[in-house]
Amino acid sequence: MRPRPSARLGLVVAGGLVATLAGCGSSFGIADPASEQADDVFGLWSPAVIAALAVGAFVWALIVWSVIRYRRRSDALPTQVAENIPIEIAYTVVPILIVVVLFALGTATQRQITEKVADPDATVLVEGFQWSWRFTYEGSDVIVSGDGAGTNGPELVLPVDQTTRLKLVSVDVIHSFWVPRFLSKRDLIPGVDNEVDVTPNELGTHQGRCAEFCGLDHWRMNFRVRVVSAADFDTWLAENADTTTEEGGGG
Amino acid sequence: MTATVDPPDTTVLDDEPSRPPASMRARGLLGWVTSTDHKVIGLAYIITAFGFFLFGGALAEVVRVELYSPGTQVVEPGTYNQVFTMHGSVMMYLFIVPMAFGLANYLVPIQIGAKEMAFPRLNALGYWLFLFGGLTMVSGFLTADGPAAFGWTGYAPLSEAIRNPAIGNDLWLLAIVLTGTGTILAAVNVVATTLAMRAPGMSMFRMPIFTWNMLVTSVLVLIAFPILTSASVMMLADRLLDAQVFNVEGGGEPVLWQHLFWFFGHPEVYIAALPFFGIVTEIFPVFSRRPVFGYRGLVLATFTIASLSVGVWAHHMFTTGAVEVGYFSALSLLIAVPTGVKFFNWIGTMWGGQLTFPTPMLFAVAFLILFLLGGLTGVLQALPALDAQVHDSYFIVAHMHYVLFGGSAFALFGGIYYWFPKFTGRMLHEGWGKAHFAMMFVGFNLTFLVQHVLGLQGMPRRVADYLPEDGFTTLNRVSTIGALLLGASVLPFLWNVVRSLRRGEPAGNDPWGGQTLEWATTSPPPPWNFDELPPIRSNRPVWDLRHPPEARRDPVGTGPASKDP
Repeated sequence: MRPRPSARLGLVVAGGLVATLAGCGSSFGIADPASEQADDVFGLWSPAVIAALAVGAFVWALIVWSVIRYRRRSDALPTQVAENIPIEIAYTVVPILIVVVLFALGTATQRQITEKVADPDATVLVEGFQWSWRFTYEGSDVIVSGDGAGTNGPELVLPVDQTTRLKLVSVDVIHSFWVPRFLSKRDLIPGVDNEVDVTPNELGTHQGRCAEFCGLDHWRMNFRVRVVSAADFDTWLAENADTTTEEGGGG
Repeated sequence: MTATVDPPDTTVLDDEPSRPPASMRARGLLGWVTSTDHKVIGLAYIITAFGFFLFGGALAEVVRVELYSPGTQVVEPGTYNQVFTMHGSVMMYLFIVPMAFGLANYLVPIQIGAKEMAFPRLNALGYWLFLFGGLTMVSGFLTADGPAAFGWTGYAPLSEAIRNPAIGNDLWLLAIVLTGTGTILAAVNVVATTLAMRAPGMSMFRMPIFTWNMLVTSVLVLIAFPILTSASVMMLADRLLDAQVFNVEGGGEPVLWQHLFWFFGHPEVYIAALPFFGIVTEIFPVFSRRPVFGYRGLVLATFTIASLSVGVWAHHMFTTGAVEVGYFSALSLLIAVPTGVKFFNWIGTMWGGQLTFPTPMLFAVAFLILFLLGGLTGVLQALPALDAQVHDSYFIVAHMHYVLFGGSAFALFGGIYYWFPKFTGRMLHEGWGKAHFAMMFVGFNLTFLVQHVLGLQGMPRRVADYLPEDGFTTLNRVSTIGALLLGASVLPFLWNVVRSLRRGEPAGNDPWGGQTLEWATTSPPPPWNFDELPPIRSNRPVWDLRHPPEARRDPVGTGPASKDP
């Protein structure tokens, strides 16, 4: 007789919480996506968080209900039930089903965001070093390198709605290339060749950071990503052909 | 009807019956440092680990104060890197795991009705390795260049001599070898004790869940810690003997360090969690006046967690691009299942009970609420596509603290309030206990809840500073204020301990209405633990003593299933 009302209570509380949070905006705190790959991540993030919060609200409700409903009210000895096989099977099987669904969704998204196009529109060699970045545009010999001073870091210029391949190489210790609004990061590891494709879909300048602790000035190993139209990108490349720019001081 | 049996296996346990108890042959400080009594060693572990906890906590306050605002508040980036490295290292290596083995040293022999651990002298050696290993690690603060500064994970090649030449880094690695060896010895002892020293009637499936969890934890230690100590020796060889194991220029492999480290490191997470799951599983039945719900399922869940935990290490490496993410994602998600089972065991234990809420129970319930959030964010990270955003960000910092502090540390304090009367013969004060609990609960959530958002918005972990235009200032201030409250919460606890040691209410043998064997002996127990053992016919012999007719009619765990959980 007892499980029923509590289960209903749990569902009501869970539903209420999820509705409230969803009403507050379904981003659940994550940065605004600014690339096609980030849109895919975002498409997994919201339902996954809602599922987690629903499960959480259900279990939290059970805990709170137990604490309120079964406070000691008399000296009568409570029932000494030590097991209930059907319920135990149920609370084992249901979580298995939940994680199987999550795994399927997660794997599909992972495939989408790590998929690489056959012929990227641009290719940039991204080198990380203690404590800045160097961006080399393949095919046009444009090099933008951080000077290691200040906190701004160098600027990575990318064309909007075009796919750029980033070749991630470390020249010393491990770094990690992270643009929070791309909702993704990838490590630069000596001896490991990493490549990612990114298709920015929002004009503007986005902050980038090193995410892997890399020593003394890790905290200011920043960079910026400036997303421009394809025409502006081509102009910029032409203007800077065969030049090396050092920048990043100030800030 | 107190049935009396002889102390078990007298001839086997006491090889020198004509002498005073072998465990304690001298008085005072000399008695303590030469003791092989598992209770003395257990308390020594607990007190030492708590000392490291205070030190690690002070380092955490430095981290939080530094991050209160953009710009330098109290320490420069170089010092900051040392401080956060030592905070993580002290908490992981010198606090949480030694604390678990301290409790195990004290409680496991008593919970299974034994007189001693299987290897008392090995036990003492393990403690002294831990103490001096720990002092070796923190002695880096006394060197000219300061302690290690490569994070508690010691990633290569940052930990190579060319990048971090200071001797504090060598001390750190040496300390890992020493304390790791101590932990291995302690684990050998727990395994041998639970397998070979149980009292007559104490079958494996009548062992208290805390003892079960310490057995499984110890097996995990035997799998994981030798890997860490070997990896540390390899790194020391790289640093001191010019070996090239992790150095890519010399043909080595930096990623190998991550594999070795996390092959230790993920079981380590469960080594730092399972003992504390065991603690709350002792607390819930007593304060619900019920048996553990689903005892066998709970033991099976513990085995499942332990088995899966050795196959998930590379979920810490999703962003390296050097591992097969699908396999590790699947196994990591599966761990949520047995962990979820435990939640239902704990709730099922409370369900239909007669619950009271003295301080140990408050901490145990808070453990459920907080650890659940840590578990749920863990499930999100098991999806590689989401991990790519949250990895190495403050989201991870929040997650790991909900698991290790909201989970393990809350359970630990519940356990201290629960067993302090057994250790000392005196109760801790309820009022101070509740003040401690309230401050810790509020302070903890203020500190770490907001860090989820900081990480999602782009704040990396292990940064010494951030910029005003990053927009991280407000939430960092909330976090720092919470951390100060959290730090202050230790004061009512320390005062409680000090005052209760002198004028706490006398506890008697069994102040809580306990169920397991430690409540059948005096508080504190005599050196030989039991003057007499009650008959052991279920997993709660002391409860059976108080409720004899029911114990005869329906032995726990074998009675008919009911529709009512």
